[in-house]
Amino acid sequence: MNCHEMEEIVNDLARGQMMEASLREKAFAHAGSCACCAMRLDDERALTAGLRSVAAAAAAEEASPLVESALLTAFREQNPAKPAPIFVAARYSARRWAYVAVGAAAVAVIVMLLSLGGSRSQVSQPPVPEKAGGAEPIVPPTSEQRFAAPPLSRATDDKKLAIDGHVRRTNRRIANAGRSKPAVDKPEESISYTEIATDFIPLMNRDSLAQLDSGQVMRVELPRSALMSFGLPMNMERADERIKADVVIGDDGLARAIRFVR
Amino acid sequence: MMSLPTTTSDLDLLRLMMAGDEDAFTMIYRRRQGGVYKFALHMSGSQTVAEDVTQEVFIVLMREAARFDPSRGSLAAYLYGIARNHVLRKIEQDRLFVPLGDSPEDATGACATLVGDGDPLGDLTRNETIQELRDSILVLPPHYREAIVLCELHEMSYVEAASVIGCAVGTLRSRLHRGRALLVERLRAARDRNSASEEVKPARCFA
Repeated sequence: MNCHEMEEIVNDLARGQMMEASLREKAFAHAGSCACCAMRLDDERALTAGLRSVAAAAAAEEASPLVESALLTAFREQNPAKPAPIFVAARYSARRWAYVAVGAAAVAVIVMLLSLGGSRSQVSQPPVPEKAGGAEPIVPPTSEQRFAAPPLSRATDDKKLAIDGHVRRTNRRIANAGRSKPAVDKPEESISYTEIATDFIPLMNRDSLAQLDSGQVMRVELPRSALMSFGLPMNMERADERIKADVVIGDDGLARAIRFVR
Repeated sequence: MMSLPTTTSDLDLLRLMMAGDEDAFTMIYRRRQGGVYKFALHMSGSQTVAEDVTQEVFIVLMREAARFDPSRGSLAAYLYGIARNHVLRKIEQDRLFVPLGDSPEDATGACATLVGDGDPLGDLTRNETIQELRDSILVLPPHYREAIVLCELHEMSYVEAASVIGCAVGTLRSRLHRGRALLVERLRAARDRNSASEEVKPARCFA
């Protein structure tokens, strides 16, 4: 080892850094034969000791309590004291009820619109037979027959019910949100307790439905004539009955999609 | 007052703090303020500046905690980094430092210039020498000073210190080496002034 090589490692040597044992031995051997490098190593060691003394002398230094007080004041200003949990819950609940109220209002508007549309349809359109056969008389089904009836979506396949990927995705999202209803594609597991539903039919443009990230599903009852408004078949003898529907309400309170349930 | 266990990690405390937990903020502050304060003190030599910097560091933390990225380093390194920026700004404003000759040629022949007679640094542990060493650190150029403060006084590893400064490890090692050489020079010069009767005879090593 020469002086130049010694100079490169003298800091690490003085600071007790990890290094190869053979390199360390060579460095000490060189320091033993070179007075200059020995002095250099001593200087570095003394400096290391001095710096450690400086660090030790400052070990107890810390900011005054005033700094902590000022910071806590600033923190409280930035994060105003939160009310007790019960109030938090109440506030959240109130906000939730506000959403529900807005949603209910939107549904009411939809019901009005659908009613108007339904009554217009009754006047202007001829009665649509519920089945393709159409010849046999339409008899109001018993409750057993109603529940055993094939899914509405299958029955209306020929009617080209508006089903697309957006609606299906939204349907899944909504189903994941907690109000899961058996989808029409699923096999009927329990006949007597299974609801049958159409796919969601967009009420606005499809883009708005695709952009819907979250929302609520509300169960409503509509005049049966509302089916006609969406091009679905309806038994005219049961026109005065009401039919259940699920309406998707966006966070903005606007109704985005609807599906009919029985 | 503190309901949080003392073993709670910095990251967990930070999450709680961001959610408005005052105890979490207090715990982070008490855990980390000492290092930040001492770093600012060693860099500036002023308690007032150190307290100002400490306060600013934690104000930044409470306002911009979301900017902390744990994948880029520890919370301590993040706080040191903020403190460094504030300290350097204050140093620039106050012109506290006196530049030392740090041209590349100064680095050559360090062996010759550092060699003197006697034991010039043997008594560094004495109180007056500690103060002298503190003063010597304060007049180092800031980029050497911060390397000395982080690696020597805060015992950070090269990697940690480099992440605080935002430079390569090799650059940090080079700055540390040069900073130490400057300190030795200054301390030797101070000692020589004190012992004016003794004449320094430079020697060169040819081994």
